[in-house]
Parts: sequence; structure tokens; C-alpha cells
Amino acid sequence: MKQNYRQNPLKRLIAARGMGQVITVTVGLIILCIVFGILNPTFFSDKNVANLLRQIAPILLIGIGQSYVLITGNIDLSIGSVVGMSCMISATLMTKGVNPWVAVLITLVCCVLVGIINGQLVANCKLPPFIATLGTMTIARGIAQIVNNNYNTDSIGDAAQGFRDFFYYGKVLGVFNTIWIAAILWLIFDFLLSKTRTGRHIYAIGSNVEASRLSGINIVSTTTNAYIVSAICSCVVGLIICATSGMGTMDAGNTYEMYAVAASVIGGVSTLGGQGILIGTVVGASIWGVLQNGLQFAGAPVAIRNIVIGVIVVISVLLDVIVRTGKPRKKKKKALLNMEVKA
Amino acid sequence: MLEYIVEMEHIQKSFPGVKALDDVSFNLKAGEVMALLGENGAGKSTLMKVLSGVYTRDSGDISIFGETVTDLTPKKAQELGVAIIHQELNMCAHLSVAENIFLGREMTRSGVLSNKEMNSQAQKILDRLNIAISPEIIVGDLAVSKQQMVEIAKALSTNARILIMDEPTSALTSKEIDDLFAIIRKLREEGCGIVYISHRLEELQHIVDRVTIMRDGRYVTSMDFADTSMQEIISNMVGREIKEKFPKVESRRGRKILEVKNLNAGKLVRNINFELHEGEIVGIAGLMGAGRTEMTRAVFGVDPKESGEIILDGKSISIQKPMDAIKNGLVLVPEDRKKDGLCTKLSIRENIALPNLDILCGRAGVVNRAKETAMVDQTVEELTIRLPNAEVDAGSLSGGNQQKVVVGKWLARNSRVVMFDEPTRGIDVAAKVEIYNLMNRLKQSGIGVFFVSSEMPEIMGISDRILVMCDGRITGEFMAEEATQNRILECATKFDQKLNPAASL
Repeated sequence: MKQNYRQNPLKRLIAARGMGQVITVTVGLIILCIVFGILNPTFFSDKNVANLLRQIAPILLIGIGQSYVLITGNIDLSIGSVVGMSCMISATLMTKGVNPWVAVLITLVCCVLVGIINGQLVANCKLPPFIATLGTMTIARGIAQIVNNNYNTDSIGDAAQGFRDFFYYGKVLGVFNTIWIAAILWLIFDFLLSKTRTGRHIYAIGSNVEASRLSGINIVSTTTNAYIVSAICSCVVGLIICATSGMGTMDAGNTYEMYAVAASVIGGVSTLGGQGILIGTVVGASIWGVLQNGLQFAGAPVAIRNIVIGVIVVISVLLDVIVRTGKPRKKKKKALLNMEVKA
Repeated sequence: MLEYIVEMEHIQKSFPGVKALDDVSFNLKAGEVMALLGENGAGKSTLMKVLSGVYTRDSGDISIFGETVTDLTPKKAQELGVAIIHQELNMCAHLSVAENIFLGREMTRSGVLSNKEMNSQAQKILDRLNIAISPEIIVGDLAVSKQQMVEIAKALSTNARILIMDEPTSALTSKEIDDLFAIIRKLREEGCGIVYISHRLEELQHIVDRVTIMRDGRYVTSMDFADTSMQEIISNMVGREIKEKFPKVESRRGRKILEVKNLNAGKLVRNINFELHEGEIVGIAGLMGAGRTEMTRAVFGVDPKESGEIILDGKSISIQKPMDAIKNGLVLVPEDRKKDGLCTKLSIRENIALPNLDILCGRAGVVNRAKETAMVDQTVEELTIRLPNAEVDAGSLSGGNQQKVVVGKWLARNSRVVMFDEPTRGIDVAAKVEIYNLMNRLKQSGIGVFFVSSEMPEIMGISDRILVMCDGRITGEFMAEEATQNRILECATKFDQKLNPAASL
């Protein structure tokens, strides 16, 4: 039996980290866009596209965070609460007259702290990630409520106009800043994940923790890094929400952790770890956004939108499971036969 | 003249409830291949895991290249030039060959991974080892033997001066074993020290210079291989004369219990016909991948059958799923007891009760605790399972006792036929004898027993009749008296003509 030394580059691309599913869902995304475009002529209008992209941006950001954590084989349920915490802490500080940029910095520190705690609880104390982040989720939501004595904040005022423009209202080269922020953070985190040592280690521990440990990889710091990325993304989304509404709302980001899982999983990130690419998360977040936007135009009530998105999530995971358990099994049998031939 | 490059003295290591290493000393010279021998559970792997930093020792001294080492982590060991190839495959299945080889030691250029360089380096290593695999291929897509070779390549890529191989050949084909031995000889000439753990004593003569023997967590002896006979090695490993290694009881062969006719299921179960009588044990011999496990799975209803008839006590029965087989009294003790045989996190009581809940439950589906306890007590007593009490996790028992629990859960329901798949794999000699006794008792009580085993002496020692499988077909049948290793092996290698008949074990 001859092994092919060089693989076909196209095949290699498809094999890489779940590219196959990314291609499938991209086709799905295109079909969705065409359908909504036909149903509603204004779907492709400049105004709606800009609006749509601004809807997608926060979902993409939290999706990036969740993808990082899922690839390590864990999950982050605290995302939504960290979004709320970020929104409330920054808004409260600004209403108290703190310089908006100082407020942003303090908020970022608080959020990163949650990420570090998550990572330590999961990797160092070996708590199941579901439980650990369920705990920090509740705590972070409590902090969001307590910072302004259980009230939403007042308007963050005129002094914060620069902050609001930076995160939401401003435009650069005719494109809203929110979209720029999401795009730039995506570029940075995609680079980190695919081109650096830390990124490689994130895949490795998601694929096989024991093998990684024996190869000298620091499991605790790698896991913590993934949770920190997740916290940073959530923090930015909280700031965007604060900038959008000009005030702090305690339940900002509610259930966002689930949207984040949806965006990741639709985009081919495996909940079992080791597999997924961030371009997939872009497609996943886009499908989420296009469905929301398109169904809204079509006059579907929120309930219907929820049901449709739920169904899409289940189908994506089902695809993942079929690919994972259906295919390798056949391969294994084949391998066994090959061995026999050689024996 | 040769310096010791590894010296381990008075090493102690305990795990909860077990003393794994008790005052063990070990040394290794540059430019030698040292075989580390002992039965399962003798502590060989544990000792080597201590040396490679995977486990931390409780006490004792280690020096590597004359340098006394206190805190040894996998990374530190690697830096000191120690590389280990673990018994279990330790690969990231989602990553490519090159990515696995350089895992934890990635090459970067100003912080960015240089994949091209790693791929070409990996290619060089693979070429040097004569392994025809592309470094870019995803490890999960490779056959097990190839994965094993990648693991070896990974260990060598660290430029290790001390190389530990824990059962490296168990998944390899004969050609790959030859390649591996060539590599080992080359490394020895380059002055590396190699520790070689293997159960296949016949391999030793090709490469080994010295042997160290361990038993029950203790150091027994070490000696030059050239001055030592196999007999001496074996008696040192076992340490005691095992009388009646294969206790055999005679029992009158009674009427036919089970008959399998024209069974087909996939490529590894092809046109199987056999019968089983009361009072006999039928052994199924064959090489790895001959279809023995597949055959038991097809009979038990785990895998779908394409065709075939199963006749139990004269009646043709239909087995579509395991429950059909169980209801008819046809049960399977699977190969991998931890994975397929036991719920290791449930108690022994719950494990034994699990397939019998239909008997134990009242009409409303509530488990009758009194009946359950009685069943469990009886089973534990009959099989002499040694346990603190029936409430401990099944996973906490020793291998032999675990195996008894797996058998025990079936005996409670008056089974007619018990199929064992590799029942003695991974358990020690004394526990093996107990399993043999158990099989004999089943046979005497009129239950049909057939068992799959890869250990030839065991098959020949215990069976009354032996079936040999090759390539999914039954290629030979012998009564125990007329069977010899050669005749069995001959049948086990009757491959189809297009296949190479020169197989090796």
C-alpha cells in the first residue's frame, strides 16, 4: 500500500479543522440571502446591509470568544453576564463623571478577571466547565446588578459622546465603527489562533489533554488564555451595547452565551473540542444575523425567529455528530483491513 | 568503562490503596538497550513514568547524566534528553503529523508558527525512520500502526539521549517492527540509552543487551542478556511456580446447545458455521483482525447480520439486538471490560443488577432492593469476587475482579451460553487461573462456553475444542488433544490467495 506523500491541496483545505462544514453552511448562508432578497427587495439596500452587519458584529465577537473556549474542549456560560457586567460597570463609572476611556480600561480589567477566574476554576481546580462558568455567570450578573444599586443607570451624558461614536455611531471610510471593531478583533484573534504557539496549544488540549500535558504544554495557562479571550470579547460587546443605548442596562447580554454557542456551532466549531476555525464563526454569526433580520422583515414574530434559530442549531450539531461518528467508523474498518493485507 | 547515564535508587511511589513502586533501583548505560521485564502490574510503566516526569516519586534519588534531579516534570525530562513512547497512543487526533511531532516545541519566527519549516523537519525525521507518511496528514486519519510510528518519530525528534519505549511493537506489523529494530540499533551505536518494555520475550534476542526484572512493584534482578536463558527470565518474572497453570476438568460432552449456521456480517464474518455442546469449552484462535470479536458481536446482536441462523436448544431464534440474545440466555463478556463491560462509576451492586432489572423490578418498575441484594450477594460468593463491599465503584477493583463482575452479572439469569472475548487480557497470572476455574465451573454446570483468545497456550490449555479463524472465515477445527501451535498457526494464516501468506504473529 503506497501512502500519498503530498495531499491534494484542496482536499487538505477541506480536511483542515472542519473546513467542510464551513463550506456547507456558507452555501446555506448564500441561499438564505437569496431567499430573503427575493422576498424583500429592500434586503440588499445599503441601509439594511449596514444595519445587518451592525447586528452581526456583537454576535460575531461573542462567537469568537465562545469558539476559543469550545476548541479547548470547554464551554463558557458566563459570556452573557460578562456583557451585562461590562455594560453596567462602564455606564456607572461614566455617570459618576469618570473619563470614558478610563472607565473602559477599568471595565476591561474587571472582565479579564472573570476570564482568569473561569480558567483557573476549570483547569486548575478541575471543576466541570459547565458548573464553573454557571457559577461565574450568576456572580457576574449579580455584579452587573449591584454596581448601580439594582437600577439601570441614567444617561451617560454628553461627555461620553466620543465613546458612543467610537463604539457605535461613528463611521470610518463609510463603514460603521462597530463593524470595524469586530473585523479588527476577528483578524487579531484569528491570527492568534491559527498562527501562534498559544493557538496551536488551544487546539492540542481540546484534541487530547493528556497528550498535550505529556508534551510539556501548560494546560492551566492555555485554558485560561482561552477564557480571557472570551471575556475580552464579551467586554467589548458590553461596551457596544452601552454606547448604543447611552445607558447601562442590568440585563444587557442576557442569554448571549447561547447565541455565542449557536454562532460557533453553526460555523463548524465542535463542542467536543479540537476542531473549528474562526471563519466558520463568521458564517455562523452571519446566519444568525440574516435569519433575525430577514424574518423580522418577513413579519415573523420573535417566537418564530427563536424556533427557527433553535432548529438550525440542532441541525448543525447533528451534522457535526454524523460527520464525527459516522465517518471515522467506516475509516477504522478500512484501516483494519489494510493491516490485514500487510500482515 | 561505560558510564551510567540514568541512576534511580530506592524509588517509592504509592497510589491510593496501592504501593506501585517499593524501593526500586534501576540504571542504564550509554549505548545499551535495556529490557525492563515483568508481569502486568509489576510497576514497569510506573517506574518509567517516574523517570520521564509524568509521575512524581514519593521518595528516592534520580540522577540523569550524573546530575541529581529533584523536581522532574515532563518538560524538564525532555530537556534533559529523556523521551518516552507511551503504551497508550498519545496523539492529538485533530492535528497533523508535523503538528503532533512538534507539539509543545513549536518552531516560530517572531512569534508566528513556521509551518513550512516544521513540515520539512518532520519530513526529514520521517524519512530517516523510513516511514512513508506525509507530515501534513491529519493523525486521526492514520491507521493505528502508523500513529504508533508517528509517536516514535515524535520521541526521536527531541534528540533524546535516553529513549523509553513502552510496548512499542504491540500495534506494529512485522515489517515496521524490523524498521523499528534497525532504528534502535542505530541509536545504540550513536550512544543513546534505550529502555525497552515488552511482553513479547521472543523479540528481545534481536536487540537487547541487558535485562532488568521487576515483580509486584519491586526490583528483582538485572543481568546481561547473553548469559541468561529464557527460562531464567521467566522464573524471575513469575517468582513462583504456578502449578496447574491451566486447570482442566473433564466433563462429559452432552447434547448440542447452540448451533450457528451460515452467519455473515460484513467482511470479517463470512459464512461461519459451528456448534457448541453442553460440557465443553470451545476456544476461538486467530490473529489480530481475523474477525473473532466481530463474530461474537454479530452472534450477540450488536452488529447487524446479513444472513445466518442461530439455533439454541433446538429452536431457531432471532437475534436483532443484544436484548434478544440476553432474553434467550446467550450472553457476551466483551473484550474491553472498562469500555464495554462495566459502568465503572456505578457500584458493583448496580453493575450486577443492570442487565437483570427486568427480574428485579416489580410491576411498577421499582427495583426490589431485597431481591437485588440477595442476587448480588449470591453472585459475589459464587465467583469469590474480592471486594470491600458491594457499594464500591466497579472501577476501583483489580482487573481480575472486574472481569468476575462482568461475568457475574450474566450468571444471575440462568444463561445458557457465555461468550468470552479475551477474558484474561491485562490481568495477572493468579487472576487468570481464577477466570479459568470459573469457565470450568460453567462448563460443569452444563453451560456452553466459548472464548476468544490471542494467547495460544491459554487456548490450548483450556479448550476442549478449538476453532481457528482467519480473514473472517473458520479455517480450522481441532480437538484439544490433536492441536499443536504449528497446526493452529497454519490455519490462522490461511489468507485468501491474493493476500500474502507469510504472516507473522
